[in-house]
Amino acid sequence: MMKQEPEKQETSEEVINPVISMIMSRMRVPLIILIVIYATSMLGMIMIPGVDDQGNPWHMSIFHAFYYVSFTATTIGFGEIPYALNDAQRLWVICTIYMTVIAWINAIGNILGLVQDPVFRKTRSENKFKHQVSMIHEHFYLVCGLGETGYEVIKALTNEHYRVVVIEEDQESLLENNIYDLQEFVPCLIADASVPRNLQLAGISKNNCDGVIAATASDETNLKIAISSKLLHPEVKVVCRSDLLSYEENMRSFNTDFVVNPYNTFADIFSMLLHTTSLHLIFDWLTGAPDSQITDEPLKINYGRWILCSYGRFGRALYQKFLEHDVEVTILDSNEEAYRNFKQQNIDQLEDIIPATGIDEKSLNKAGIDTAVGLIAGGGDDSNNLSTIMTARQMNPDIFVVARQNLRDNSELFKKVKADLVMQPREITARMIRVLFLNPMLCDFLKMANKQDDEWSNVVVSRLSAVIGDSKPHIWTTTINHKETPAVNKALALGRRITLDCLTTDPLSSTRKLEYVPLLFESGSQHTIMPDDATTIKHGDRILFCGMRESMNSMNWTLTVMTSLNYVMNYENEPESYLLKALMRKRFKGRERRDGNR
Amino acid sequence: MNSEKVLFSFFMILALTLNFGFFIGEMDDPQHHNVYELFAVIIVNLIATILKFGDRSRLGPMLLATSLVALVQLISAALVWTFAVHVQETGLTSDTMVLIVSLSGGAVLANIISVILLMIETTMLRR
Repeated sequence: MMKQEPEKQETSEEVINPVISMIMSRMRVPLIILIVIYATSMLGMIMIPGVDDQGNPWHMSIFHAFYYVSFTATTIGFGEIPYALNDAQRLWVICTIYMTVIAWINAIGNILGLVQDPVFRKTRSENKFKHQVSMIHEHFYLVCGLGETGYEVIKALTNEHYRVVVIEEDQESLLENNIYDLQEFVPCLIADASVPRNLQLAGISKNNCDGVIAATASDETNLKIAISSKLLHPEVKVVCRSDLLSYEENMRSFNTDFVVNPYNTFADIFSMLLHTTSLHLIFDWLTGAPDSQITDEPLKINYGRWILCSYGRFGRALYQKFLEHDVEVTILDSNEEAYRNFKQQNIDQLEDIIPATGIDEKSLNKAGIDTAVGLIAGGGDDSNNLSTIMTARQMNPDIFVVARQNLRDNSELFKKVKADLVMQPREITARMIRVLFLNPMLCDFLKMANKQDDEWSNVVVSRLSAVIGDSKPHIWTTTINHKETPAVNKALALGRRITLDCLTTDPLSSTRKLEYVPLLFESGSQHTIMPDDATTIKHGDRILFCGMRESMNSMNWTLTVMTSLNYVMNYENEPESYLLKALMRKRFKGRERRDGNR
Repeated sequence: MNSEKVLFSFFMILALTLNFGFFIGEMDDPQHHNVYELFAVIIVNLIATILKFGDRSRLGPMLLATSLVALVQLISAALVWTFAVHVQETGLTSDTMVLIVSLSGGAVLANIISVILLMIETTMLRR
């Protein structure tokens, strides 16, 4: 029995609002003092004999005494009501005033003290947060870490009207990344996300929590978040940011759905660039931030030798890609450990590495800057990277420059130095997480696109540029099912054949075509990249589209409203109301039979 | 001996006894029901209620509820009294007196439950 006691204590704590119970237990003594003083004051006023306006002896009633004490105690002071007091009464009133005022000050001071109490504040903000989370009834994502990556991800998710809950340890980041002017209200808890209790406060065990994004700066914390998430809510989709390989492997070992490593991700992107520049352009268009401007021109890269400055995590990932694409590369790194590392991993290519810093003319000369086609400034220090780029540009103005930017605040400088491609680890991570959460099909598309040839990429670029404007295109996934596309479902049930072509007609005017491109068509386990217009849609198919947002809205009319679908497919409208249905049953019976159903 | 426990029980039982003292007597006879006794009952009940604030025991919420019920009953009785004497100025007719006393009778019941709960808690849980 004694053992059970603490458990019960805990449950009762959960049931009673902790803020209210804290106020109640703290206010016990001041309130009792107040009541006792009120009672004594009232008793005194009742008992002391007075005289009324006619000079008759008179005793204050309880009601009048309460009235009198109430307005004196709160320092309102209406005066001597109902009759003028005598001196004995006044003497008592003096005592009353001082006693009650002190009792009130004591009570108010107690409340103020409680409000400033850090424990109380924490309880209150946690309570508020808990309430805000409990008010979210739609599906939501939990983002841990409100750094640059976290903020970008939250912005993208809220732009699509997904609900998001944030846990961030540092109050400062809250000031830096304002989450209050986003499209959706984002509840934020200031706490350590690696503590399971905080994850639970943020609603991780709730059924409508769809995903957890561990985007804190520390790999260790991200790992802890991933483990806790998988244990507390096994079905939840977990995406982790990870910079170090050892953590990445650990994270994958217990079914973390995705691990985003910015260096490897960038290496993949760079590999696209080496493969074909238009593929990189497609990637950039499809994965950019929602409000970013897009470039029309693919980057121009000549085939030749590259210089890679610094052989760290970033350099290693890139070097592998150079080897894969069989591109010649010279590495510059003055760090002995990096040199040893290189020797261990690539004993055959020892001539590729030169132990030099890469920031001065001499070492760049040694690496043969004048004959190189590209330079990658990939160090962990922004000043060194900038210095390398500036020196290299002076020596070889035509060289293609890839810069690694480590700090967000240096954006202006990297813009000024005119690097052809800037790699920001945090931006890359945010980009990948965005794709993984908003349009997971886009990953499949990019994987398949990687296997296509140059010509294919060029065709796609021209098709895409025909439908998109200056800003980043909108990407959306449509699943053919009863919930998302009721009209199509109904038409399919009637036995009609619907092709992708049907959907491209504007439901407002049949002569106009909607501007979008279907990127990927998934039917069962079969994926078709860039499906043609004649593709037939079946129940359960998923289609990835890219185009302007207006086109999506128009298409949604066709997908959800039967009359719109009838219009674009040149069918006559069927009556929707019961009355018309009954009246026109005969006329439509024949048609339905012709449609071959029911 | 826990002095806090003594105080707690003292006020709860005093609330019951005073309440009972006010309640006992001819229902409609103002002579049998003293206004100062009602005043004392309300004050003691208020204190008993506040003592139950933040009580984290298992029966704490129940105890608080019974006290709140008693308070509602007693304050209604006081309001009826005030209305009769000061607002309508009809004085204490037997009708009003019956109403006041029956309201306080309800409070007696709530206070009895409260004391029973207190006894259960003391014997069962050995606080």
